[in-house]
Amino acid sequence: MFSWSLAVRNLKRRRLRTALTASGIVVGISMMFILLSLVSGMETQARSMARALGGADITVSNSTSFRDRMGGGGFFGALPSPSTLDASIAETISGIPGVYAVSPQFSFSGSINGRRVTVYGVEPASYEIVTGGLNIVEGRFLSENSDGEIVMGKAMMDFLNLTLGQTVNLSAGQEEEGRIFTVVGVFETGMIFQEYAGYVTLADAQNITGEHGLVTQILVKCEDPSTVSDVVSLISSTVPDVRVTTPTATIQQASQMLNTLTMFFATIGLVALFAGSFGVINTMIMSVTERTREIGVLKAIGAKNHNIMKIFLAESLLIGLIGGGVGVAVGSILAYVFPMLTSGLFAAGASPFGMRNPFSSAVNAGLGGRATSTIMFATPAITPLNITICFSLGALVGILAGLYPAWRASRMKPVEALRHA
Amino acid sequence: MPKLIVRTIDLSKVYRRGKVNVPALNNVNLQVSSSEIVGIMGPSGSGKTTLLNIIGGLDKPTRGKIFVDGVDITSLNEKDLADYRLKKVGFVFQFYNLIPILTALENVEIPLALMGAPKDERRERALNLLRMVGLENRADHKPDELSGGEQQRVAIARALANNPSIVLADEPTGDLDSKSAMAFMRIVRDLNRRNNQTFIIVTHDPLVVEQCTKIYTIRDGRVESA
Repeated sequence: MFSWSLAVRNLKRRRLRTALTASGIVVGISMMFILLSLVSGMETQARSMARALGGADITVSNSTSFRDRMGGGGFFGALPSPSTLDASIAETISGIPGVYAVSPQFSFSGSINGRRVTVYGVEPASYEIVTGGLNIVEGRFLSENSDGEIVMGKAMMDFLNLTLGQTVNLSAGQEEEGRIFTVVGVFETGMIFQEYAGYVTLADAQNITGEHGLVTQILVKCEDPSTVSDVVSLISSTVPDVRVTTPTATIQQASQMLNTLTMFFATIGLVALFAGSFGVINTMIMSVTERTREIGVLKAIGAKNHNIMKIFLAESLLIGLIGGGVGVAVGSILAYVFPMLTSGLFAAGASPFGMRNPFSSAVNAGLGGRATSTIMFATPAITPLNITICFSLGALVGILAGLYPAWRASRMKPVEALRHA
Repeated sequence: MPKLIVRTIDLSKVYRRGKVNVPALNNVNLQVSSSEIVGIMGPSGSGKTTLLNIIGGLDKPTRGKIFVDGVDITSLNEKDLADYRLKKVGFVFQFYNLIPILTALENVEIPLALMGAPKDERRERALNLLRMVGLENRADHKPDELSGGEQQRVAIARALANNPSIVLADEPTGDLDSKSAMAFMRIVRDLNRRNNQTFIIVTHDPLVVEQCTKIYTIRDGRVESA
């Protein structure tokens, strides 16, 4: 029938109104799209993290997560550093049956050449035994005599424009005086946010922060992977007030977090879409009223109710499709721009939302020191599924919002409609 | 022998305005034979348009029956009435009532599209109809690019698209100058002669009355033969 050409031409006739109405949907859809992309991005990262896990079987940390030693107030303040444990606990743990090796580590939010970054102090030998070591792509890892040496992530190197062998100034905070370190190695993880990190010896880390005899995590490798849960309960019962995490628990936690985030984001997007749909309803009712006489004429020359319904539904569906299409496009651009905007921020050690992402810290704890505490919001993934979902959602909103006005149009009595001026 | 195409039996229509009943038609008995051009005259508010709307299946009588081509259209439901309007009747209005965003050709195509005619077929038929009313060279023009007379000729082409038995026209020349009105009536007469199409025209226009084969006058809801 003429439904489509009528719809297209009517929308064209009122370009501004069409654009404004569709923009209500654009806002909702692009919001939905970028949020879904972020969640997809997090999913992807969680999956690769799960793969990356497996270095340390167990991570032991202080049961209170963070201490705010950087004093980082303000919106883009410093990430808090983890709370500490007495280093002697490592010895206690190494005595527990089923434990193969332990590696104490001291991580803190430090500053390299003025840039906030997560720094790990490790015992090189035990670290390699327990976690399997870093993926060194240039130079070498630390050794027992690595005082004043640092191994840095590739992304951080690129960001600071550094090359192997150069020196950097590492301090415990931006205001504090630092020490000069020589870059002896570069590692890669494949996940950029993990590469905004540096590794020094445990002693150097403790010296810089002044936290002698303290560690933040103790990484544990079991003799037999099947006994991990037994070892976990033994550690918990032997050492008081510690948090004992395993990769499985961490992934569970992470996926729970993801579910919550997805629900939260979906709700925000849906509320925006809901608001947008009122714009469509309003425009369509206006359009029906303006064209009352036209409806009367069409009915007089034989159009049935469903013919009229189709004409108006086609119009609202088109508005929905335009909104969905533009929304996906805008969302894609935002999703593409998003990491660029945030990379600067998270290099400075703050999340784009000005808050710490609990999800990454959960994963972090299980990563046995291989993760950084950078946020995971940074890399949205644009997937065909998300494009399809958002585009269809736009269309669906168009149809649903058009139902009532179209129904009203279809029910008009021809004589009364014809009388309409 | 021309057959009876419209027959009304004691047709009455009462409108309710608030709490008051306003009679529009009062026991109208009317007979129209095929191939007639019937003119319906009368002062405004006398019920002319109501009668036309009831014959056209746009409105329902309060009482009485109306047979068109042997079928009692008062017994039809909404959907069948739409079908009746599509296949049996063509409407021409005083203010043409063309769809402003469609071209002349597309306006004529609407009833054919509603019938489900394939695109090529309806395009060809619509062009033929426009040729018949002398507007084939204006086919791609939108209504606002046509004169009143031209728009009314498009409207009559649209009314004839599905080859209806009756064409109902409500003051079709009311908004036209006398030259256009005459051209319009010439077309009506040609069609009536050539296709045996029946026309029922509500009018005040002496130019139209001249061309009618029969005239009825309605006064206070009652029909009088002229």
